[in-house]
Amino acid sequence: MKRLWPAFLILGLLGLGYLLLPKGGHSFFGTRLLNPKPVDFTLEGPKGPVRLADFRDKLVLIFFGFVHCPDVCPTTMISLKQVYEKLSPEEQRRVQVVFISVDPERDTPEIADQYAKAFHPAFLGLTGRPEEVQEVARAFGVYYQKTAYRGPGAYLVDHTATTFVVQGGRLVLLLSPDKLNFAQNPGYLPKVVADLRALL
Amino acid sequence: MRRLLPILLFLFPALAQVVVEPGWVRLVPPVVPDTAAYLTLVNRGRTPLRLVGAETPVASRVSLHRDHQEHKGGHAVLGMRPLPYVEVPPGGKVAFRPGGYHLMLEGLKRPLKAGEKVELTLLFQGGLKVKVVLPVERR
Repeated sequence: MKRLWPAFLILGLLGLGYLLLPKGGHSFFGTRLLNPKPVDFTLEGPKGPVRLADFRDKLVLIFFGFVHCPDVCPTTMISLKQVYEKLSPEEQRRVQVVFISVDPERDTPEIADQYAKAFHPAFLGLTGRPEEVQEVARAFGVYYQKTAYRGPGAYLVDHTATTFVVQGGRLVLLLSPDKLNFAQNPGYLPKVVADLRALL
Repeated sequence: MRRLLPILLFLFPALAQVVVEPGWVRLVPPVVPDTAAYLTLVNRGRTPLRLVGAETPVASRVSLHRDHQEHKGGHAVLGMRPLPYVEVPPGGKVAFRPGGYHLMLEGLKRPLKAGEKVELTLLFQGGLKVKVVLPVERR
């Protein structure tokens, strides 16, 4: 019996640890960043420069893409629209969806914004000078590269298709393109909405 | 005519070989000059079937693409790669759908409207052409 004492002690400590675990917390579907990284940028919008810090009191969902992208980008943009439409008007006021074009050679700020607004009128499209876009992409760990180059204006772009969620100037959550592919996984929509609600 | 059909099928076996299951064309914002078409090719024949291209009156060029995914810096990097052809094995099928294969309609001559029908002529190796009509859908 004496030999079993250490085992009882360990079980007891484990039980105590379990009781001390925070209860009722939201378990995130997206990737929650434990050390939220401060992020900020200024890019060109259709009506002049837009700074990320302008949306300090909002939850900002950022997707990097390009307009000549018929398959990957619309899949995520349509999902973001579906997520946004699941929110109440009051919640919508505290959420901003931002599309950043990584193809400033072809996409002007006006084109990027028209593209974003075609998915939802409340969305915002931005871009900037190539070196500005590069700087922003670097800050977010976004990769993009031209491929299938057939000439100026005729090429494709590989790009990181993660959606970045920023709150109070810090990157707090990542949503991979798989998690935002509701066409293939309709069950993911309520999970993403729940993640946003947990942050709001 | 009924007696002639088997002879025709014998002469043009490819006619009976390919079946195209209906698909759709993505409605894109009017500012976007390219879109994607999706459908499923079924090969009922005994030889491989190769889709080598397509034509449509609404775009200046149609190319075949497959999505490409790799991981860089912990994130999924997505893109597309042009393909010279898409092969459907005998008795098999290939589904074109978001995240996989698509026909990219490049250089739309005018913005498409939801619900409109787009004519697409599929070109197969050996000269076979199959015309399909796909609806434009927002999804």
